[in-house]
Amino acid sequence: MTESTPTPTGDNRLLAEATSDRKISWFERTLGPDNYRIVKGLFKTPASIVGFILIVLFILIAVFAPVIAPPVGNDPMKIPRDGFGGKPKDPGTAWKKNVPEVPFWYEPLTGKTEWVHLLGTAQGQYDIFYGIIWGTRTAFQTGILVVMATVLIGVILGSIAAYYGGWVDNLIMRLTDIFMTLPYIMMALIFSAVLTPVLGRSLLPPLIAMISFGWMGYARIIRSDILSIKERDFVMAAHVSGVKNGRILFKHILPNAIFPTLVLASLGIGDVVLGFAALSFLGIGTEVGYADWGQVLSFSRNWITSLDKYWYIVVFPGITLTLFVMGWNLVGDAMRDVLDPRMRGKT
Amino acid sequence: MTNDNAVLIKVEDLKMHFPIYRGVIRRQVGSVRAVDGVSFQIHSGETLGLVGESGCGKSTTGRTILQLYKPTAGKVFYEDVELTALHSEPMRMMRKNIQMIFQDPYASLNPRMTIRDIIAEPLVAFGTASGKEIDDRVRKLMGLVKLDPDFMLRYPHEFSGGQRQRIGIARAMANNPTFVVCDEPISALDVSIQAQVINLFEDLQKELNLTYLFIAHDLSMVRHISDRVAVMYLGIIVELADRNEIYANPVHPYTKALLSAIPVADPEFYETRKRIVLEGDVPSPVNPPSGCRFRTRCPIAEDFCAQSRPEFKEIAPGHFVECFKWDHPDNQRR
Amino acid sequence: MINYIIRRLLMVPLLLLGVTLIIFGMLQLLGPVERSALYIKDFPKNEKQVEGIIRQYGLDRPFLEQYFRWLTGFKNPVTGEREGGILFGDFGYSRTASQDVVDIITNRFPNTVDLALWTVFPMLSVGIWMGVKAAVNQNKFFDQAARVYSIIGTSFPTFVFGLLLLMLLYAKTQWLLPGKMSDWVSQLVFSGSFKQYTHLLSLDALLNGRLDIFWDALRHMVMPIITLSYISWATFVRVTRSSMLETLRMDYVTTARAKGLKEQDVINDHARPNAMLPVVTMMGSSIAGLLGGVVITETVFNYPGIGKAAADAAAQLDVVTTLGMAIFTGLILIISNLVVDVLYAFIDPRVRLA
Repeated sequence: MTESTPTPTGDNRLLAEATSDRKISWFERTLGPDNYRIVKGLFKTPASIVGFILIVLFILIAVFAPVIAPPVGNDPMKIPRDGFGGKPKDPGTAWKKNVPEVPFWYEPLTGKTEWVHLLGTAQGQYDIFYGIIWGTRTAFQTGILVVMATVLIGVILGSIAAYYGGWVDNLIMRLTDIFMTLPYIMMALIFSAVLTPVLGRSLLPPLIAMISFGWMGYARIIRSDILSIKERDFVMAAHVSGVKNGRILFKHILPNAIFPTLVLASLGIGDVVLGFAALSFLGIGTEVGYADWGQVLSFSRNWITSLDKYWYIVVFPGITLTLFVMGWNLVGDAMRDVLDPRMRGKT
Repeated sequence: MTNDNAVLIKVEDLKMHFPIYRGVIRRQVGSVRAVDGVSFQIHSGETLGLVGESGCGKSTTGRTILQLYKPTAGKVFYEDVELTALHSEPMRMMRKNIQMIFQDPYASLNPRMTIRDIIAEPLVAFGTASGKEIDDRVRKLMGLVKLDPDFMLRYPHEFSGGQRQRIGIARAMANNPTFVVCDEPISALDVSIQAQVINLFEDLQKELNLTYLFIAHDLSMVRHISDRVAVMYLGIIVELADRNEIYANPVHPYTKALLSAIPVADPEFYETRKRIVLEGDVPSPVNPPSGCRFRTRCPIAEDFCAQSRPEFKEIAPGHFVECFKWDHPDNQRR
Repeated sequence: MINYIIRRLLMVPLLLLGVTLIIFGMLQLLGPVERSALYIKDFPKNEKQVEGIIRQYGLDRPFLEQYFRWLTGFKNPVTGEREGGILFGDFGYSRTASQDVVDIITNRFPNTVDLALWTVFPMLSVGIWMGVKAAVNQNKFFDQAARVYSIIGTSFPTFVFGLLLLMLLYAKTQWLLPGKMSDWVSQLVFSGSFKQYTHLLSLDALLNGRLDIFWDALRHMVMPIITLSYISWATFVRVTRSSMLETLRMDYVTTARAKGLKEQDVINDHARPNAMLPVVTMMGSSIAGLLGGVVITETVFNYPGIGKAAADAAAQLDVVTTLGMAIFTGLILIISNLVVDVLYAFIDPRVRLA
């Protein structure tokens, strides 16, 4: 280019004054304008920082589970049992049978050389501490899996409905309405119960059940976002520029439509884990003794009258579950605030 | 100033009706007749101004000509090619020649793309350039619209309205079009910027030999840039003439009313000029008045105006009017 | 307006069809032995009986034929009576509860209604009041506290909350009780002297003039009510607050103040009614959800409503029962949603014209 830069006039002068010194970091450039705003938004309020820290904390626990709670036996997802006694033991009671190895952090932190049940045991002598630590993995697995699957289904259906319109749109929307009429927990419960004899007792029935009844929100949001973006001028401009339809959908419409969906999805992980815990609590879900917070909580059902005595069966997994969900909710809220003008009214 | 050059765009009886659905089972009960039988020609190198109040159908006309909406009836020709008869892929190829500049500089750029990608998109769509060539072309285009090419990697939200409009113009010029529909390109800009952008339009027209369909509602701006002017009302063209002719000798009562409303910075003239104020509201385009559409607001309407639609008559060389009383003593030329 | 209602009504059979199809589809995943519970009471005893049942009730016929049969039932060749048939109210027999499914529903649903009745008012009023107050006192202490509450409230799992309540208010102190009625009450209720006018315990107690039974009933319901409410409060606070904040920024509110109205009147007459619009939708779905049977809460507190009945049946893998309850719940929800949508159309003119 051999032409010299024209002397700024009018708008250009304002631009030169206002933005020529603005350093756009490499970071901002790689992420893109929207993503960058979101990441920045994540650290704006103390609430969102707390949420972020919580999530990081849980990730660390999940990753370092083998170090924090060394597995006993072949399957770390089976909570180790100190014998088969029926009465729960208080936190701090010595661990007699089936004792795991002592990890490096144990002695400096607790001053003891032998394992105790740090958070107590439930009936059947399931160690609560182990249940909570390894349950973190279950939480992430189920949460991420279900959210990814439901978002995928919802986005596909919503996009097809918005793109084709007409009777296809109608059909898909009626289907969504029908599914939305059914009460989520009850249907997940029932479907899970139906699938258990067919698939055996594992993670699979509740997962499939939750996925089958959890996609509707995403379908609706994507559809309405695509419909509104379709009318925006820049889509028409792409049309005029000669861009082919498929490319318009993928390069213009979807990237702009995906954001409210992402916000919903991040809140969704919290809800999924809550729902999964509820299913386990009700007795539908994983087998007894599987490392899952809802599972551990379900042990408390036998001790309702003496809950004050066996409070630890409720309190420890309960707090863990709450903190996990809270972390995701805080992050989701922060993201929603970043996109605030567009998200108002959509809870 | 009638142009002797070849006819570039020919529009024949173009209609664009949008259906309305009501009732329990969504039957079509009527339609919005946004464009209801419009015909004109645009010669190569000229600027045809298209004016009218909001809702008269001028933007829709522009978009329908470009086949962004599929016309309900009528034909559009670009040189010899009938655009209305083309399938989607051949029509897409035509988009190298015919382009559009949008009204809203904020909505017409994808907020997630760098302006380099935005301007380069038409090049990529047709494979006109690739690799490093693209950057060169983009730089040249940015220089063309007087934007600093160093800002190539920035995002639309970092620019002002006037600059975004220039980006849109650069994008439109990417594949060297011959015909550009300008849909109220300056209405959304600050008044101080409008003049600059208009000048840019004129410079580009001279440099690249462009033909414009300039849609606007600001009559004094249209006067500045157009060679000929068409006045639209409720989906039809009521008057079409050379620029000077129409401002000096408007014939249609609607044109006269519009022109009389133009603010003029001359207090004396303001006092003495006859101001025509139209009564009533614009009728709905779903149910236009029978006969002459303007009759419900026309100061000189009579009974026979309701019976049939007047002919779009050439009353002087290049001067067309749709009115029964075009030579009536009531309707004196100014 | 009428158009909207008609269109909304027309959707009902479609929804019912869809719901029943989905549920029936799930049924098909089971073997014929379990599915026979739709029509007969006992387990088939041997291979031959199984075959006979399959033939008699067409349990291996094509999907749509089975679906139709499921809806209409069979005529027993021996007794001439009808067996099965959802449309005629025969939802099958629950082998785990030893009753017809319909009986389970008629026994348990009134309890759920009773609970819902007493939950509605606290649930709605407290949440909205908090949200309005928080918005009006933006960023002051009440607002901060309310926001913290809303975050914690939406993260706290209902059953954990319920368990904590039980821990504090029951296990230790016995102030409030789970379940539905104390033993002495149930003896009285099922004796002849207690007349069941509405089958809703709390109301019947009042109608029978027995205040002591009434208090007992309430004592059992307080914990479930709080559990059901707190999460609604948390969500309501957030929605009400943001809606109220947005409304307070509107020009017409500033105009009202400029006119010289008292701040209280500005809020009550101008801001709040308009801010309520999004809240009303939420209210509608919350109420609908209450009737749908709040499975978790009822289970935690051992409250004999349809939610618990469904959970019990599901835990024992009694699928026929659970599906029967699912249909019933689906029906209730369809009706409640219809009512809510129609009411909402009265309030918000924009909806009618869509």
